[in-house]
Amino acid sequence: MMRLSGRLRSSLIIGLQGIRARKLRTLLSMVSLFLGVLAVVVVQAGASIAERALMSDLELTNGIDGTRVLDMPPNPQAADIVVSTIAGRSDAVASMAASAIIGEPGVQPVNPGGSPMDENWGSSSICYPDGHCEEQGGPKGEAVELRLTALTGDIRAFRPFRLQSGRWLDFTTMPALAPRLVLNREAAKGFEEHHVPAEMRVGGAVHDVTPQFIGVVDDGDPQPRAYVRVDELANWLPPGGLADPNTGGEMRVMLAPSTPAERVLTAKLRGAGVETYLSTVDSRKERGKELSLMRLIFFSMAGLVLLIGVAGILNVGLATVGERVEEFALRRAVGTPRSLLAGIVLAETLLTGLLTAAAAIAASAAALKVVSTLLGDSQPLLHDVQFPWEAGVAGIIAGLVAGILGGFVPALRAAGIPIATVMRA
Amino acid sequence: MSEPLIELTGITKVLKGQSEPRTILDGVDLTVREGESVAVVGRSGSGKSTLLSVVGLFDRPDAGRYLLAGQDISRLRERRAAKLRSSHFGFVFQRFFLLKHLTAAQNVAMALVNGQGWPRRERRRRVLAALDQVGIAHLAKNRPAKMSGGEQQRVAIARALVRNPRVLLADEPTGALDTETGTLVIDALLGATENGCGLILVTHDRDHAARMGRILDLADGVLTERVPA
Ligand SMILES: Nc1ncnc2c1ncn2[C@@H]1O[C@H](COP(=O)(O)OP(=O)(O)OP(=O)(O)O)[C@@H](O)[C@H]1O
Ligand SMILES: [Mg+2]
Repeated sequence: MMRLSGRLRSSLIIGLQGIRARKLRTLLSMVSLFLGVLAVVVVQAGASIAERALMSDLELTNGIDGTRVLDMPPNPQAADIVVSTIAGRSDAVASMAASAIIGEPGVQPVNPGGSPMDENWGSSSICYPDGHCEEQGGPKGEAVELRLTALTGDIRAFRPFRLQSGRWLDFTTMPALAPRLVLNREAAKGFEEHHVPAEMRVGGAVHDVTPQFIGVVDDGDPQPRAYVRVDELANWLPPGGLADPNTGGEMRVMLAPSTPAERVLTAKLRGAGVETYLSTVDSRKERGKELSLMRLIFFSMAGLVLLIGVAGILNVGLATVGERVEEFALRRAVGTPRSLLAGIVLAETLLTGLLTAAAAIAASAAALKVVSTLLGDSQPLLHDVQFPWEAGVAGIIAGLVAGILGGFVPALRAAGIPIATVMRA
Repeated sequence: MSEPLIELTGITKVLKGQSEPRTILDGVDLTVREGESVAVVGRSGSGKSTLLSVVGLFDRPDAGRYLLAGQDISRLRERRAAKLRSSHFGFVFQRFFLLKHLTAAQNVAMALVNGQGWPRRERRRRVLAALDQVGIAHLAKNRPAKMSGGEQQRVAIARALVRNPRVLLADEPTGALDTETGTLVIDALLGATENGCGLILVTHDRDHAARMGRILDLADGVLTERVPA
């Protein structure tokens, strides 16, 4: 160990001396290698940025990878079990949705059925607990239909909603009397385009409610939605009412991987005869296949460019060793082992590769910054995008690999120089 | 009498040229003791450098026995040869082979392979001591381009001395220098033998050869002692 680290140190020190003594050559090597490393960095950066964008969209809608998702058909009894079991927990959050109309009473909403704002799917019917459905009539008016989603806790632990404006729901305070709503972007759009009075009708609620809008989030959902604390809504609508199958309720519990709540909850629900469907979010695996082929193609192209750079390093390396025959023969004469000589040459090409990697990483990080500020406003993918660390790692690996490939043959040459050279010179 | 440092018996070296193999050394016997200085003379192409490269473990003999400080090293691996070169030998050549991007001190330190595992202060001390021994400690920070030939050769000698070698091997160290400067260089080499270091000097210069304890003639692949007239 001592010997190895001593050699490594010597190689690096002597290699650095060599680089400093031949700055122009080092620069030429770097120039020949630069494009190759740059290509690798750019490909990796592009892949990482694209993947990150895809993943974060998936995370918004499906949940972070590893999240356990428990789905069940809407059922008032199940809703009560769920709320009583996981209320106040942060490692398990239930969401229950029902249809709600906000706006002028007695009119048909601008988006019947809670469809996205720009698509109108015609009129809708509302069904009541007793089973009969009613075509929603009345004149079209200033009202927006949305999915009112009641939450038992902060769901952002599982679905990292992006706050657009205002505030997100605060689950730590006492429940307010008037329910506070956070809209998603589609719902916010509806309220922006239509002048809607703040009065909310929820299927099954005793009274109409006057909600307060406190913020807008991006939840990745194309349908208008509003989020609310389940306990704030409870004054008007008990959880059981939310889970009414006739109003098209949804019931879902998201759980941290391996929380004890999962076992308790499934046991209780099974005891009550509720059917549940358990799954684990794994977006990366699903997306991975699509991305890997693209990545393979781009990396092979970058690899080819890198290979040209390697040839450049190799060329300069061989020329340098040829020029330093006497130095290496002398070093061998004073007892430098061949392995150290090879190490010196490799250290030089490796350092050259690393310097090139640093330059390429710096160049592409700077370019990304420029592109992001220039195009970030029109291209959401490029908005405020960070230089991905994977691209930095890929660049360093490319630099090291190029250094090893380009330095290997010169290193062997250097190690094979006969010592007698010093006597015949 | 002191212990023999180097004992060669019947050393043979055959060099394979383009056409047929040529026997350069044909049964060389040579003994060098501590503090002893030996001159090897002979006409050009007689194999003097070849002999030094066998003694200095640059090359292995084809036949014969080589004892270094009593140890048989006629056959040994390159790894061990490299270790022995650095622990037992110091080399000086006709050309100085200083690395022009390094200072005199760095050139001397180059012979401390892997820093010898010595701390930096110790290395510095030894390097300066070696430069001082050949009288050019004041040039430690100069680069070769700013030094005269004699000074450069003395840096090379300091490089050979920095590890306190048991034997100094010098192959025409004055060949590129004028007589006066050459004398200084020989002084420096002889100075080292006072500390018990053996010296083998290959030279064409009669005066320098005459300053050595013994003069050996290499001709037709064998060494013969020149009896002082
Ligand atoms: N690598 C080699 N292959 C074949 N023959 C060689 C090789 N190196 C040297 N020789 C031959 O070996 C002989 C001895 O060479 P060597 O360099 O030992 O002579 P020398 O006595 O040192 O001569 P000089 O005084 O000119 O330095 C020469 O005839 C030379 O041509
Ligand atoms: Mg010679």
